[in-house]
Amino acid sequence: MVAVEVNDLIKVFGKIQALDGLSFKVEEGEIYGLIGPNGAGKTTALRIIATLLLPTSGRVEVFGLNVVKEAEEIRKIISYLPEEAGAYKNLSGIEYLRFMASFSARDKKEAEAMVRDAIEISGLGERLNNRIKTYSKGMKRRLLAARALMIKPKLAILDEPTSGLDVVHSFHVRNIIRRYVKEFGVTVLLSSHNMLEVEYLCDRVALIHKGKIVAEGKPEELKAEHKAENLEEVFVKVAGHA
Amino acid sequence: MLRDLKAIVSKEVKELVRDPRILLGMIIVPVIIFPIMGAVMQSVFTQVQEGIKNVTVGVADFDHDNWSQILIENLTRLGANVIPIEADNEIEAIQQMQEYNLTDLIVIPNGFSQNITEEKKAQLKIYSVYKGSGMVESARSEAISSLIETIKRIWSPDPFIVSENSVVKGQPVPIPPSTLSSLAMSQYIVTPIAIAIIIVMAMQLAATSVASEKEEKTLETLLSLPINRFTILMGKLFGSIIVALIGAVAYLIGFTYYMDSIFTLIPTEIGVDLAELGLTPTPLGYVLMGISLFVSLLSALALAVVISAFTEDVRSAQAIVGYIYPLIFIPMFLLMYLDVSSLSLPLQILIFAIPYSHPILTARAAITGDYTIAIGGIIYVSIFTVAILYVAARFFATEKVLTARIKLRKLRKAKEEG
Repeated sequence: MVAVEVNDLIKVFGKIQALDGLSFKVEEGEIYGLIGPNGAGKTTALRIIATLLLPTSGRVEVFGLNVVKEAEEIRKIISYLPEEAGAYKNLSGIEYLRFMASFSARDKKEAEAMVRDAIEISGLGERLNNRIKTYSKGMKRRLLAARALMIKPKLAILDEPTSGLDVVHSFHVRNIIRRYVKEFGVTVLLSSHNMLEVEYLCDRVALIHKGKIVAEGKPEELKAEHKAENLEEVFVKVAGHA
Repeated sequence: MLRDLKAIVSKEVKELVRDPRILLGMIIVPVIIFPIMGAVMQSVFTQVQEGIKNVTVGVADFDHDNWSQILIENLTRLGANVIPIEADNEIEAIQQMQEYNLTDLIVIPNGFSQNITEEKKAQLKIYSVYKGSGMVESARSEAISSLIETIKRIWSPDPFIVSENSVVKGQPVPIPPSTLSSLAMSQYIVTPIAIAIIIVMAMQLAATSVASEKEEKTLETLLSLPINRFTILMGKLFGSIIVALIGAVAYLIGFTYYMDSIFTLIPTEIGVDLAELGLTPTPLGYVLMGISLFVSLLSALALAVVISAFTEDVRSAQAIVGYIYPLIFIPMFLLMYLDVSSLSLPLQILIFAIPYSHPILTARAAITGDYTIAIGGIIYVSIFTVAILYVAARFFATEKVLTARIKLRKLRKAKEEG
């Protein structure tokens, strides 16, 4: 089944055209990466798919649900991790997870199970009992990533999932994402400007430049096609021509 | 060292001047508020001066003898406009005084002249109508008292004693008007200030609660959750409402305590039911005061939530909410000194149109017993609140809640251009 289908998506903010006819498909159970430099339109695309922004024109569907007409239904099956997201600093990590779980879980038992998963994903241990305002940037990101994955959404939309994390924690979060896809069939749509990360994590990637897709495919195929050593090189070659 | 100091001072001044809160609090608000206060005070003083210059007083002379004649002559010579009241007894005289629309009555009892001649202490009674219409009123009765004091000094040594009484809702009450003016203090100064403080604080809380979601970058996550947007808005509002309710209850407790402490000034043995006379709110009055404050707070909070949703950080939210403060302070200052009916028609319309006037008007109506104003105000503010909530709900349902941005920079720019 198609998890996400984006068709000729255009988004205009005043005089700025953030997306200029973006189209791509994400299959269920896939890890799909949107890559590109800052300002390419990755976050805008993810926000539209997460039902936070409305398309100026074009069609976007998540598991067959329309983002404009069926936004509330979509919110029940997705989990969105914004870039630079924050958490309520006067709550403890565990209180935050319980608060968030309460909106997705059907009962208390299910909520507790979600929180238990989040404890494992975050790897924050005892620190979860401390207030979030005492957390480092990396700890906060791990808490938020755990929050996004603990509900085992049908689609996880992760905007720069490892932003602000050090090498060890980035590695940890990437492995968790992979495990969730394998174990629970979660579809992941992520964005990153770290092309090496995307290369390691994603089944397929789309290279975005100025609100348009300039190349799409499996990382290996893209590298072979453009005779490049890595995706960074592919991007420079493709964006240069675009 | 001087150069460093100069650099630091220059940076501080720049930062402070560029902070809209400082600009608002120290420059714009005084520029708006003080001229208004000046205009109000001028009109107050004009009324007071006219009141003192043209003292009109009814005199019921039951003595009809030489000293009572001298007293009336003295009053006239001192500039008072004396209206003779022909009555058979004091009660009738008080009734007539009100029929003539007089606010003050001097009663010269039978035997006044005889007592003075025999060097016994004679008695003189003053009745002043208490309307509870503003601070100007207490100045007027003070003017009569000072006239009598002047006459006492002319006739010295201390030929008669004066008993000062009030007429409340047509009933004579043996309480001097000066005591009642303490009551006026509570109605005209304490109440408006307390109400303004509660509303301002609640608005700051609500504005902060929305803006901090944006500043801390938690709003995006919250909006992507499977929660109805209206529920999020109501959650924000109810959080502030709980605080507002605590505020309203605290206000009522404080107000009741204040009224009680004022009434300890009035001797209990006079056996007057103060609530019945309209000197203290009835239970219904208290209920209406609570409701009025609550709906006004709710409307203020809803407005603060909507406005602050346009900003992207707490500082900008607090600054922009500050632009509503003149709407709170203008009725506060006006109603402190004047009764709404004494204002010009455009000012009356302005006062009634501002939702934050209504808790002050209701607090007064609860004492005067004019519940129509109180209930009308509650209905008006409720409609206003529903309208604001509707706008807020519409706003929260769109992407604008995320994309609308008013930054400090923009505010400053607008001001520079303005």
